Amino acid sequence: MTTGRPPQIVAFGGGGFSMEAGNPLLDDYVLSLAERERPKVCFVPTASGDADHYVVRFYRTFSTRCETSHVSLFRRDRGDGAVEGDLEAHLLRQDVVYVGGGSVVSLLGAWRAHGLDRVLRSAWRRGVILCGLSAGSLCWFQEAVTAFHGAPTVVRGLGLLPHSNCVHYDGEPERREEYRRFVGDGVTPGYAADDGAALHFVGRDLRRVVSSRPRARAFRVEPRAGDVIEEPLPVSYLGDARLDLAVA
Amino acid sequence: MTVRERLRGEPQILAMGGGGFTMEPDNAALDDFALSLVRVPEPRILFLPTASGDPTAQITAFYARFARRASATHLSLFRRHGSSRSLADIVLEQDVIYVGGGSMRNLLAIWRAHELDQLLVEAWRRGIVLAGLSAGAMCWFAGGVTRSGGPLEVIEGLGLLPGSFTVHADGEPERLPVWLAAVRSGELPGGWAADDGVGLLFRGTRMTRVVSSRPGTAALRVDAVGDELVRHRIEPELLGADPAHPPTPASLPVPDDIRELRELRQAMRRS
Repeated sequence: MTTGRPPQIVAFGGGGFSMEAGNPLLDDYVLSLAERERPKVCFVPTASGDADHYVVRFYRTFSTRCETSHVSLFRRDRGDGAVEGDLEAHLLRQDVVYVGGGSVVSLLGAWRAHGLDRVLRSAWRRGVILCGLSAGSLCWFQEAVTAFHGAPTVVRGLGLLPHSNCVHYDGEPERREEYRRFVGDGVTPGYAADDGAALHFVGRDLRRVVSSRPRARAFRVEPRAGDVIEEPLPVSYLGDARLDLAVA
Repeated sequence: MTVRERLRGEPQILAMGGGGFTMEPDNAALDDFALSLVRVPEPRILFLPTASGDPTAQITAFYARFARRASATHLSLFRRHGSSRSLADIVLEQDVIYVGGGSMRNLLAIWRAHELDQLLVEAWRRGIVLAGLSAGAMCWFAGGVTRSGGPLEVIEGLGLLPGSFTVHADGEPERLPVWLAAVRSGELPGGWAADDGVGLLFRGTRMTRVVSSRPGTAALRVDAVGDELVRHRIEPELLGADPAHPPTPASLPVPDDIRELRELRQAMRRS
């Protein structure tokens, strides 16, 4: 089965229903990529430990206009409304897999233990759109900066995107310095995104940067001439009516 | 060496088949027993709710039980704890580390991803008491039986304790046959089955006591000898069996099906 879509990932620096109540711009953008009247969207809240309140907010946000479901890796025994049985078959049928925030280290550990890393890789190849914020952004990259246990460190992600990633770039000044230092020390060059900015990759390449906030920024961070440069990327603010016209 | 460190003894693990604050809100016997294993006057206890994904209800129940009994904290591996202290500093200053139930596969995978498994082994070696129920008990053994993937299946543990362990022997009776079959086939080494409310205390790697918070419960030692399973029932010491305060039926609710199973079992023993 194929979706007819290329592999796509939309990686939010922060934002979407869980961080920007009342601002649906990033979530709407992802749904528009599905090109379906009622897209199938599956929520994967592993990084939060499948927090109930998070799952509820997902359904509140999407259930009126999408075919919604969620995967729980903590309650495989009880169901609790999550997908039961063959996770792989279910995930491969989706238009969008939406990965929530939390701890990227815990997320990767649990995914690998359940074989979800492999399943999501094949979903991506078949054109299931993968998106997420924070840990749900970091996980797709080769390397990612996390500050979960205090000081920022670099972890290996799934490596679908051969870049590094740093999220909440505006939120924590320490992360910004550390990310540049890491890239200077040999971490894969990559992309940083503020809260409200989302990096849209088609295949392995960055296609565009969109935002739900007029001033949200994103950067390419790479070594150049013995230094590490932080090059601002053009960002399309999704709340701008003129942009809608341009896209149409 | 601090006074706290000098007061630590040999490695101890309290493995519960079920019970404690997450399952017995009105019965603190097992949790008090866990605290009684340390010698410091104001013990520090750390709760690890990893196997259930750090649910708020479990964390709240932990503090409700332990806040007045000990210096109680919890460690989240899903929400940032806002502390810049290393995991090693947090773990190795404890007197008791208490592990909740849930998905054993997630528990071990997430601990390993954070390298917490090695720290817990180190804590055990240093004489910090490890206690836990269900997934939080089986994890210390060579293996057990889990529903982490939905259906019951055999799972490997950290292997600090020799032998296998299976939990909720009375509360979830469908576990026992899966475990017995695995012991018979050699997939799991021989070991113990524990009812809800039953705790096995290990000093070093030797099982030294079996205690219980509920009357009528038991532990079972099972070994494969040739093609046969040799079973040995162990009667636990009933905790808090204070004649002045006998446990009331209201504080020890036993579902009908479990009561029936226990009666059946007792009848089988008599015959």
